[in-house]
Amino acid sequence: MSNQIDMMIEAIAPTTSRRLPVSRLVGFALLALLAVAAIGGPDLIGKDPAKQSLLDTLQGPSAEHPLGTDNLGRDMTARLLSGAQLSLSLAFLSVITAGLPGTLLGVVAAWFGGWTDRLLGAFADAVLALPGLLLVLMLAAISPGSWWALYAGISLTLWVEYFRYTRQRARIVLAEPSVEASRLLGLGPWLLIRRHLIPEIGPGLLTIAAFGAATAVTAVAALGFVSVGVRPPTAEWGVMMTELLPYWREAPFLILQPVGCLVLTVLALHLSVGGLRRS
Amino acid sequence: MTYSIEVEALSVFAGTTRLMGPVSFSVAPGGTLVIMGETGAGKSLIAQAILGTLPGALRSEGRITVNGRRVDTLPATRRAAMWGHELATLPQEPWRALDPLMRAFRQVAESHRFVAGTSRAEARRETVDAFAALGLTGAEDRLPGALSGGMAQRVAFAAATAAKAPILMADEPTKGLDAARHAKVVDLLARVPASGGTLLAITHEVAVTRRLGGHVIVLREGQLVEQGPADQVLTAPADPYTRSLLHADPQFWDKAQSHPAGDIVLTAKAVDVVRGGKRLISGFDLELRQGERVALTGPSGIGKTTLLDALAGLLPPVAGSVLRGRSLSAHAVQKLYQDPPAAFPTRIPLDRSLRDVARLHGTDWQVVLQTLENLGVHPSLLSRRPDEVSGGELQRISIARALSVRPKVLLADEPTSRLDPITQKETLKMLERVGAQENIAMVLVTHDRHIAEKWADRVIQLA
Repeated sequence: MSNQIDMMIEAIAPTTSRRLPVSRLVGFALLALLAVAAIGGPDLIGKDPAKQSLLDTLQGPSAEHPLGTDNLGRDMTARLLSGAQLSLSLAFLSVITAGLPGTLLGVVAAWFGGWTDRLLGAFADAVLALPGLLLVLMLAAISPGSWWALYAGISLTLWVEYFRYTRQRARIVLAEPSVEASRLLGLGPWLLIRRHLIPEIGPGLLTIAAFGAATAVTAVAALGFVSVGVRPPTAEWGVMMTELLPYWREAPFLILQPVGCLVLTVLALHLSVGGLRRS
Repeated sequence: MTYSIEVEALSVFAGTTRLMGPVSFSVAPGGTLVIMGETGAGKSLIAQAILGTLPGALRSEGRITVNGRRVDTLPATRRAAMWGHELATLPQEPWRALDPLMRAFRQVAESHRFVAGTSRAEARRETVDAFAALGLTGAEDRLPGALSGGMAQRVAFAAATAAKAPILMADEPTKGLDAARHAKVVDLLARVPASGGTLLAITHEVAVTRRLGGHVIVLREGQLVEQGPADQVLTAPADPYTRSLLHADPQFWDKAQSHPAGDIVLTAKAVDVVRGGKRLISGFDLELRQGERVALTGPSGIGKTTLLDALAGLLPPVAGSVLRGRSLSAHAVQKLYQDPPAAFPTRIPLDRSLRDVARLHGTDWQVVLQTLENLGVHPSLLSRRPDEVSGGELQRISIARALSVRPKVLLADEPTSRLDPITQKETLKMLERVGAQENIAMVLVTHDRHIAEKWADRVIQLA
C-alpha cells in the first residue's frame, strides 16, 4: 500500500543522505595529510628542527631547505612538521580526555536526574564561569612552559561543552516514548544508550570534537605566541610566529608558513564536520 | 468563468517514475474540493504541486491555474509571494506549526501586520475580531503548549487566513483530534466556502468528506480512482475501491466474536489518575481476564493515556493498586503506541530493534519472521528505518515486536487513530485475531464509539 512512499524515498534518499559533500571530503583529505605530517614528524625528512646554522639564516626555498630557513638558520620544513606533531597530538589527546568524561557525565546527569544532575550541572557552570584561556594560563603559571599544563588546562576547559550538549540532548531523548517502549520490552541501560542515545547525539558530538580540536590548536598557538605556552627552542607554530615576526619585512614568506599551517588545520577540522549538525 | 483552482493533467514524478496522476479538476469560488484516499496515496502531493512546495527531488507536469493565472511555469519566488495572499494552508497537526514560545494573540496579529500588511492598530483590532469570531476569547495570552488541540487549530486557522487568501488548503485537518473536535474543525473549514472562498481539503476520513461535501476526488496509489459530487461518490460509488473505503468506516464493521475468558491477569482496584495536579479519574476498577478485549472510551483530556500507563506499571497510581496475575513475567504487559514512529529508536534499522527484543527474550528469529508474515509485513521492510515505512506497516511491526516478548496483556493507546480507515480496520482485525490465537488480554483506548462497540467484548466509558 505504500508503494508511492517507497518510491519517493528511493528517489530522494541518494541526494539527501548517503553522499558525502565535497567540502567534507576536502576536509578529510586535509586532515589525513596533516595526520601523516604529524605522525611522521621531522623524521619524515630526516632533519633536526633544532639544528642551527648561523651562516644560512632567513633563506628562501632551496633544494637543501624546501621551505627555507628561519632567523637562526634552522630548517623550516622540519620545524613546521615538529610543530604539527606537537599541536595535533595535543588536540587529539585533549579531545579524548575532554570528550569521554564530558559525554559520560552528561549521560549520567540526564539518566539519574535530581541531585546528581544538579551537582554535575553546578560543577560544569563553575568551570564555565572561568574564561577558558584563563584556566590554561593559571595552569601554565604553575608549571611554565610545560606541555602537560597546556594539555590539562585545555582538557579541563573543553569537557564542559560535551557535558552540556550530551546532558541536554539525552534528557530529551530519554523522555521519548520510544525509550519507554524499549524499557517495557526489557532493554537494559546499555542497549538503551546504544540504540537510542548514541545514534542521536553522535553527529553532534563529532562536531563538538572537531571544533574543540580546532580550539585546542589555536589555544596552543596563541599561548606560544604570547610566550606563556610552549617555550623556545621547541618548534611550535605560535612560538615560530613570535620568532619570525621581526623579520616579516625581509622574509614575509617565513612568517606566513606557521600562520598558513594554523589556518589550514582549523579549516580542515571545520570542513570535515560541515553540515553534520542536522538534528 | 474563472475558476479558483484549475488543474489539467497534473502528475508528480520522482525522476522518471510517476508518483501521482494524471488528475484534472477545477473548483469555482465558493466551492469545496475534497481529496480522499489512504495514507501514501499521494494526496499531499497535489497540494504541494499547487503551492509549489514539492520536495526537491520531485517535479510536476501539467497545467495549474490559480485565480486565472497559470502558476506551474512561474519561478519559485513568484509562487512563494502568493502564499498567504492567494493561497493559505492549514498544515497537518497545526499545533506543531505554531511558534511554541509566542503567545496566541501575537502569532495571529503578526500575520495581520506582516502578511496582510496592515497597520499595528489595525492588526490588533482584526486579531481581536478574529479571536471573538472563533471563540478564542480568553486564550490570547496562552502559549501554544497551553492550548488544547482544537484551540491550537483555530489559532493556526486565524493566522493562516489573516491576509484573506481566497483559497484555503487543509491537509488532514482532523488528524489527531477526537470525535468531539472533528465537528468543530469541519465547521471552521465550512466557513471558507460559505463566505465565498475556496476550500481544498485532504482527508482519509469519510465522515469529514461527508460533512464538507463539494467535489470529491478519490486517489489510490497515486491513481485517480473516482471523482464527482460528494453526494454521488459517497452514496453511489462507482469504483470498488471507493466502496471499500466507505465500508471501512467503523460503524459498518461486523461485531467481533468474543472468546471465553480465562484467568485474571490484571486487576485494578480503586485507581485514581492525576495529571498536572488535577484528579482526572477516581476509583477505577478493572478485572482483566486472559483473551479478553476491553475498550476504554471517553473524551480527550479525560486521562485515558495516563490510566493506561498506570495499568502498564509505568506510573505508580496515586491511590488504589494495580496487581498483576501471579503467573505473569516481568515483561508480560506490553503497550502499543498512538504514533508508531515514536515507539521505535529513530535512527536504527527496524530489524536491529526487533532482533534486540527477540534475543533478550530468547525468541527464535524465525518465529518473529513468521509472525511478521502472518501480519502481512514483507521482511524486506525491516532493513529500513522507522520513518521509511508507512504508519500502518509500522504499527504491524510494533505488534510483532510486542508479540516476540510473549505478552499476556497488550495495552493499546489509540493504535489506529493516525491510520486511514482501511488500514485501521485491517490492523484492529489483526489484533483481534492475534489476541484470540495467543490468548492475550487487550485494552484498547479509543475515542471512537463505533470502534469500541464493534471491536471489544466490553466497553468502559470514562466520563
